[in-house]
Amino acid sequence: MATEHEQEFGAVSRVRGKVFEAVSFGSSVLGIVALAVLLVFVVVDAFGLAAADTGWILTYVAALVVPMLALWCYRLDDQWLVRRAGAALLVGAPAAFLLETALAAVGVSIPTLNWELLYLFAVVVPVTGTVLVTGRDGPVGGAANGLFGRILGGAVFAAGLVVVFEILDPQLWFLVYSLAVLPAVGCVAYARQNPTSILGRLRIPVGVLGLFAAVAIHRVFLITVPYWVFHVWALAVPVAVATAWLDDEPETDAGWMTTAGVTLLVLVVGSLAIGTQGIAASYGLLLLIGLVPAGRYAFDTAGTSPERIGLLAPLVLGIGIVIGTIVANALGIAGPDPWLDSGFLTNPPSGTASEAGFYPAIVGSVLVIAVVAVLSFAFGVGTAIFLEEYTADEGLVGSLTRLIQINIANLAAVPSVVYGLLGLALFANMLGFGLGTVVTAGLTLSLLILPITIISAQEALRAVPDDLRRGSDAMGATRWQTTRNVVVPEALPGIFTGTILALGRAIGETAPLLLIGAVTARTAAPSGVFDQVSAMPLQLFNWYGQPEPFPRGVVPAGVVTLLLVLLVMNGTAILLRNRYERSDG
Amino acid sequence: MPGGTASDRRTVSRRETLAAIAGIGGVALSGCVEFRSNASSGSGLSGTIDVRGSSTVFPLMRSMAEEFTADHDDVVINTTSTGTGAGFSDYFCAGTSDFNNASREIRQPEVEQCQSNDVEFLQLTLARDAITVIVNKDADFVDCLTVDELSSIWRTDGAERWSEVRSSFPDKEIARFGAADTSGTFDYFNTHVVGEDVEHTTDYQATEQDNNIRSGVEGNKYAIGYLGFSYYDPEAVKALGVDSGDGCVVPSLETASSGAYGVLSRPLYTYVAKSALKREAVREFARYALKRSTSEPLVADEVGYVPNSPELAGEEFTELNDTIWEVTV
Repeated sequence: MATEHEQEFGAVSRVRGKVFEAVSFGSSVLGIVALAVLLVFVVVDAFGLAAADTGWILTYVAALVVPMLALWCYRLDDQWLVRRAGAALLVGAPAAFLLETALAAVGVSIPTLNWELLYLFAVVVPVTGTVLVTGRDGPVGGAANGLFGRILGGAVFAAGLVVVFEILDPQLWFLVYSLAVLPAVGCVAYARQNPTSILGRLRIPVGVLGLFAAVAIHRVFLITVPYWVFHVWALAVPVAVATAWLDDEPETDAGWMTTAGVTLLVLVVGSLAIGTQGIAASYGLLLLIGLVPAGRYAFDTAGTSPERIGLLAPLVLGIGIVIGTIVANALGIAGPDPWLDSGFLTNPPSGTASEAGFYPAIVGSVLVIAVVAVLSFAFGVGTAIFLEEYTADEGLVGSLTRLIQINIANLAAVPSVVYGLLGLALFANMLGFGLGTVVTAGLTLSLLILPITIISAQEALRAVPDDLRRGSDAMGATRWQTTRNVVVPEALPGIFTGTILALGRAIGETAPLLLIGAVTARTAAPSGVFDQVSAMPLQLFNWYGQPEPFPRGVVPAGVVTLLLVLLVMNGTAILLRNRYERSDG
Repeated sequence: MPGGTASDRRTVSRRETLAAIAGIGGVALSGCVEFRSNASSGSGLSGTIDVRGSSTVFPLMRSMAEEFTADHDDVVINTTSTGTGAGFSDYFCAGTSDFNNASREIRQPEVEQCQSNDVEFLQLTLARDAITVIVNKDADFVDCLTVDELSSIWRTDGAERWSEVRSSFPDKEIARFGAADTSGTFDYFNTHVVGEDVEHTTDYQATEQDNNIRSGVEGNKYAIGYLGFSYYDPEAVKALGVDSGDGCVVPSLETASSGAYGVLSRPLYTYVAKSALKREAVREFARYALKRSTSEPLVADEVGYVPNSPELAGEEFTELNDTIWEVTV
């Protein structure tokens, strides 16, 4: 018997399985590699890397990358990785050179890429990435990563604040804060002390009333508050609380209080110090706040050895840049000629390619996406909760629900141009929100991604075990209480994930914006939600149609910017989601 | 933190804190409040100006807007390239834009639409463009075509092969790349080159993106295309001379401005709504655009069109001022 079985099993062919495995591996890698190659070319064009002299990249690899990686690898247990990384960096450069020479001998030349760029993208970038990620496990690399992460996060947070106050009238925020936020928070605080008081229930009416009052006053009166008053009164406390909340570490009350306290101190003292210096100084102050979490982290880590060595990372970075620049200047090596520079990010569009800027489009896109995020989250989650938790499965209601369900699933497949037409007819013309305004664009794009948001939120809600609901029911909770206190908190991380993906699609949409009459080139950023708006993909589309060097220079710079904004947006959302998951678990 | 044993003292202190904060806020607010007045700050001009229309005029208008807003911080100018026709029908004659750029004159149906919406307008000439006919750099068999030959290439049921255009040309199929029928360039080419009573062919690669026309021609030895002069790149493609009857003339800023380039040299316009001229910012921008339309560095060097002659700009300026006087008095 046994021999018979062996023969039967032995006869089974494994070819099909192997072929399937190989084909699926190949197809999944193909897509990623193709996109990676495209992005390499885009990055080379955006930063004008091809214009750099031979030796420029090698100089900076030697002065900057190698010391940084050495710091990360210091005291790292994974010696295998360290040796491999070092060998790859050493051998990579001559190998790339030989490869280019060999290809040239055969008659093949890779457009725009020379051997140095090949070395940069095929060796230096992957090695650096691997070491940064793996080096996290070591004490020194971990501390360096922690410090850099906080500096980066703080800078993004501060830049976000600057953008918010660039768009949002500080005077309006001053009024909203004084008349709506503070009274509402006051109500909540009072209700905590006296749970029987009616004030606690009044928090939402008080807030809404205050909001209306603030907007009304803003329309009638011109309130000119000196910047230091604005900072101390309407910015210091909320920003301090937000910084402390976003800071990764303050598990303890003391840690929380330190971050909040130092931020408060920076803002108050800084505000009094700069006095009425105007908006630039005011922004400088906001940027300073971004350093508070990093400072606290450095302070905490400085006491422990060998982690404290990791705190040298910014120093190594700075010295590396200085040495690299000195050496490059001494040897007369010209650097790259980047299209993506600070002027590109802060200028309005221009007819001259070298002066063309992206600023109005960046602000426009961010503003539209903010509207989309609020609307699609509110409506999407609302609909999903209704469909999952409130409707019955049987009877007339049941069939109605199924009909809605099918429609939502089909709406997800409707082309975006159709939503553009809907936005044009409904929001721009019928409801009179105006052609190409922020509201019209936001509402149209919200409609566009609403089906995706609903479906992913439904999936997240469905994943919540029924036992939790029954348990809550058994304790006498109403359906509303169960949903609010048990189901939604459990499903929220999943809902966030779905919304993030949908927003990523919304920010890249072009066709609906073209149809609703969004603007191609604005000379200044939109200053309110009823202003006409320009958006990043629209601007890119237009630049592509301009004479050279727009398509090969300005467009790549714009693409990289768009990807960076998307990355920051997703990063923020993921950070929020992770915080929620942790505080929940 | 909330509730607990020592809550009495804390409640009082918290209440006091709140009161103190409110007090400080009140003091801070007083003295900062005034009635919002309509007077604008800065250079005195403010407001938003909405410009739509031709993609050909777009680069010129955007550059003018860029210069104008550099001097007037509180003015925002939105320039959007929609195509001449779409700009008239969807925005300008619907009364939602202040300017409409056009690479051809307004048509009768558009005039009627404007009239039915009570939109009155004034036509301003901003520059001249030379529609450039391009072929592949390797196409050494052709350097010049007559208008009739161009018409035979671009009309419906016209020449399919180069040898049908002129017998000395190779017997190869013609690959055509041209402007899409929403563009003013298409309309102008259709009327003035192909001919009033014959149809423009539909058997061609139509695109709104002039760069695509160029790269299409770049990639095919037997291709032909036409585009605005500012998109012509001598490095990539070859511009054909055009014979309008007086010999072969190669497109350039000089030949276009002197009129030697013939029918393919066309004026570029912007239309301004008379009702919009009641706003000071629009008035000033219209005057500014005309003043700058004679500027060689801006119109020719930066954008690549032919500047207005001072005489033409002067006439248009007088007409603009008359209209402004008429709407404001």
